[in-house]
Amino acid sequence: MPENSDNKLVFSLSEVAQSIQKTISNRYTSVYWIKAEMNKLNYYQHSGHCYPELIEKKEGKIIAQFKSTLWKDDYENINNRFLQILKEPLKDGIKILFSARITFDAVYGLSLRIIDIDPAYTLGDLEKEKQETIKRLKSEMLFDKNKHLKMAILPQRIAVISVETSKGYADFVNVLGKNAWGYKFFHILFPSLLQGEKAIESIIAQLDRIRKVADHFDAVAIIRGGGGDVGLSCYNSYELARTVAQFPLPVLTGIGHATNETVAEMIAFYNAITPTKLAEFFIQKFHNISVPLSNAIQIISLKSNYFIREQKKTYLNMSKYFSSVAVNLIISNKTSLKQNLKSINQFTGIILKQQQKNLMQYAFKMNLATKNNLITQKNLSGFILKRLFKAEAYNRQIHLAKLLSIEKQVAALNPVNVIRRGYSITYVNNKLLKKHTSVNKDDILKTILFDGVVTSKVLSTHKNKQDDTKN
Amino acid sequence: MTQKINYEEAFNELQQIVEEIENGEISVDTLSQKVKRAAELIRFCKNKLVTTEEDVNKILKELENETITDNTDDK
Repeated sequence: MPENSDNKLVFSLSEVAQSIQKTISNRYTSVYWIKAEMNKLNYYQHSGHCYPELIEKKEGKIIAQFKSTLWKDDYENINNRFLQILKEPLKDGIKILFSARITFDAVYGLSLRIIDIDPAYTLGDLEKEKQETIKRLKSEMLFDKNKHLKMAILPQRIAVISVETSKGYADFVNVLGKNAWGYKFFHILFPSLLQGEKAIESIIAQLDRIRKVADHFDAVAIIRGGGGDVGLSCYNSYELARTVAQFPLPVLTGIGHATNETVAEMIAFYNAITPTKLAEFFIQKFHNISVPLSNAIQIISLKSNYFIREQKKTYLNMSKYFSSVAVNLIISNKTSLKQNLKSINQFTGIILKQQQKNLMQYAFKMNLATKNNLITQKNLSGFILKRLFKAEAYNRQIHLAKLLSIEKQVAALNPVNVIRRGYSITYVNNKLLKKHTSVNKDDILKTILFDGVVTSKVLSTHKNKQDDTKN
Repeated sequence: MTQKINYEEAFNELQQIVEEIENGEISVDTLSQKVKRAAELIRFCKNKLVTTEEDVNKILKELENETITDNTDDK
């Protein structure tokens, strides 16, 4: 009860607390559904109780903050349901929708006593976060970045991010190491947490380490398995996904769980559902090389032998063909030679005979012709002789006649005879006088007569009225 | 076989030779040469499948060096 002191009503601290507690319990009688961000879970392992730190943020600033209590039994119930539904335990940094009583404790003050937390709300929130991570990676063109890397055709050197004692790691190493084909892998473990909030940082740190020795590796394998399906929302973290997407080596995942694919798995170069499957993927890569190698051996051997056989066959055929062609050619040449020889013989005989015949004919003809000719010539000469004789006689007669005529003429022309008939010949200056112009007056003329010569002197000359110079 | 050639080059060269032989593009003159080269490549590739050259200690040493440098950077 309050005391009266110097007119002041003085309360003890417990009385104030009692009053507040009374007021609050009167005022806030029911259970309220409240949404908040659970900044810290503050789980105390020893007692099993949790004292979650609840906040509400607006534009990055805390605008409300409450302490809360979650008693051991409630925590265990809620956590189990979370694990069932979300595959995630209650943890720091999740948004929760919870039912609580508003309580006031004289010692611990105002607090929310959490009775229940709705896993569906948190699930939705986590899914939203995951979708946001995907959206952001896509908008930053990072979503397919690791997938688009070119892995070595023989991914032999693998940097493994895992936990040495985990079943997943053991499976992976076992399958790689004991493969029936003797394929040799080189791998180094980069130990890391693989689930829970802290895995993000841990995996990123190991990726950073691997990046420094990336030249020694062909791929990175994130291996997890045997740890149940809880605490995998770390693989939806934007930070982790971005690191994987931008990693210079192909990052392959074998996280081994039955829940929805996480973002890290989606953006990985290759995602296998289990570590064993991932190891088999690597072995398959070796097969992809090994099979063509075996095939190559077979193909080369088969084809080379076939090729050589074919060449031999071709060579044989050719030589056979060549020899047969050569023989045929020789035979055909021989035959043709023989034929030619025969033909020559034949034709020579024929030609010779023909020529002989011709010659004989010519000889005969010649003979005949000569004879004929001789006869003709003989005849002709006889004839000519006859004609000659004839012509001669004829000629002689003509000549005789002519001679007689000429004799007569000559006789007639003999000036003596003419003179005898009274004609005379006159000379002037010893030249026969024929024209009256040849003499001038007083020229002495000498006139020959039949029986003498008369010498006279020219008195005159004149031309005849009629030309009778002929006489 | 030269050390310089890497697996991928060897494999690609082999594939090419196989293709040439398969398609009968090789003359008798080069056949034995090509087959010899193919055998070399096959030996190299097969050997590669079953051995590794990486040295764990070397990588760990490199990592250690890097880590020390990192720490110095942090300080």
